[in-house]
Amino acid sequence: MNLTIFLLALFDGISYAALVFIVALGLTLIFGVMRILNIAHGSLYAIGAYATVSLTGFFLALGFSPIFAFPLMIISAVLVGMLLGGPIEWLLLRRIYDKPEVLQLLVTFAVFMILEDAQRLVWGTQPYFQASALQALGNITLFGVTYTVYQLILLPLVAIGLLFGLRFFLRRTVIGKLILATTEDREAAQSIGIDADRVFLFTFIVGAVLAGLGGALASPTTSILPGMGADMIVLSFAVVATAGLGQIEGAAVAALLIGLGRSFAVYVWPEVAVLVPYLIMVLVLLIRPQGLFGSPVARKI
Amino acid sequence: MTSATQGTRRSGPPLLETRDLVIKFGGVTAANNVSMQIEAGRNLAIIGPNGAGKTTFLNICTGWLKPQQGKVFLEGEDITTLPPRKIVQRGVARAFQIPQLFTEHTALENLLISAAARDGMRNPLQSLHRIRQRDEMMHLLDLVNCADVADRTVVELSEGQRKLIDIAVALALKPRLLLMDEPTSGVASSQKHEVMEILVGALAEAGVTSVFVEHDMGIVARHADEVAVWNAGNVQLRGTPDEILEHPDVIRDVIGEEVA
Repeated sequence: MNLTIFLLALFDGISYAALVFIVALGLTLIFGVMRILNIAHGSLYAIGAYATVSLTGFFLALGFSPIFAFPLMIISAVLVGMLLGGPIEWLLLRRIYDKPEVLQLLVTFAVFMILEDAQRLVWGTQPYFQASALQALGNITLFGVTYTVYQLILLPLVAIGLLFGLRFFLRRTVIGKLILATTEDREAAQSIGIDADRVFLFTFIVGAVLAGLGGALASPTTSILPGMGADMIVLSFAVVATAGLGQIEGAAVAALLIGLGRSFAVYVWPEVAVLVPYLIMVLVLLIRPQGLFGSPVARKI
Repeated sequence: MTSATQGTRRSGPPLLETRDLVIKFGGVTAANNVSMQIEAGRNLAIIGPNGAGKTTFLNICTGWLKPQQGKVFLEGEDITTLPPRKIVQRGVARAFQIPQLFTEHTALENLLISAAARDGMRNPLQSLHRIRQRDEMMHLLDLVNCADVADRTVVELSEGQRKLIDIAVALALKPRLLLMDEPTSGVASSQKHEVMEILVGALAEAGVTSVFVEHDMGIVARHADEVAVWNAGNVQLRGTPDEILEHPDVIRDVIGEEVA
């Protein structure tokens, strides 16, 4: 392997890890607080991407500058969180918190299936491609390798920003503390007047926004087509399970591990590249069933 | 029924009043037409045999259990159907037999979380340690003699300290009425009176009326202003500690068991 290929694999891995991490962050936040493994997270990711592509296409056709794609990503993510995440928690999940995990999994899987079909109804099955945001930021050459600024710098920066932002939000702010308190003991939280329903709704919306943001940020780098949500939920679940469910910092490390593992495999042993994330997950879970950073007893956030 | 305290404060409706509460669990009647009036400014102890419905009464007053019949009024306002958190916001707090603290947080943080919850997350993105109630919360910790452990996490604290901090957490909600389930259970018997002394002092200082379920008659005799005796889902007797603890029925039904 020469240096160029090594760097390409490294950059691919980093930018990919950043995207997967953003999605996994939402998944692990929701699991950590609400103990629900939200399969529909993958659909929220896909819809975030579709919404961004549609909105960007629409505004660019009106003559707006490509830079406008960035605020539209945030708008798409927030719309996904509010319009889909909110009702999913409020209408469905709220009723099944005390039900067995299998049932919760089935419900979120059903939501996933419904949303997958809804995507086909709205956007059809043809692929979309909208790379204005990617092109707007141009390229950067590092050690003779040219790569997009969007993927090599922006995506990792956003991922790191979200990691520290969420950490700060949960550990330092009032609402973060109330979320952690509710996570630790729902009844005690209610007995001091915390509206646990609202805390859960808010948490789920934040998680859903992260899924939508992942999709929005991924949209300029890939073709948007049916099935992308399924791929992402499996992958981000692999990240979350490898890290230990509910582990925010751990998810960053696991995302890097899996992202780099996959991108190096693409260059070194392409036949198994698709398998690598799951091989890593299986290996880690065989040795540490609670994940790299998980504690065997209680979850923490 | 002894009624030594009735008619002492009669300006407006009582702080808390229940009318004809009925609740049945299967064949057991845990509340059998309970009508109680709790006047502000006194510490009322509830005693009685196990299964008499003491805790059920507290749970109904705080909204955790909904009565099948009857109503609960807080200063004349019907709060029967309100969810627990709304009742907390209206000034009725509850401390449980086992302190319900957030064990991964420090003592002070537990109070700050309470204060933030009380204010309905007015500034949700503010730092917990910068909220303006910080001094007020330190004062509450001081009231319960726990200021020195403010920055320790709850897991590091003794059972007595947890009990006191649990009370401080309840006081952080600025309640008018605090309902407690055996405030000194789990505390070493040598320290029970000390813990109770601090507790009663803090309540008086904060101007909070209290109702507490208690099995230790020594605590009742020393720290209650008034005693209500529960039996078979209803109030059997009510009066001053002296009257009640010397009452032949109480000696036979409640105290006798413990002496024997």
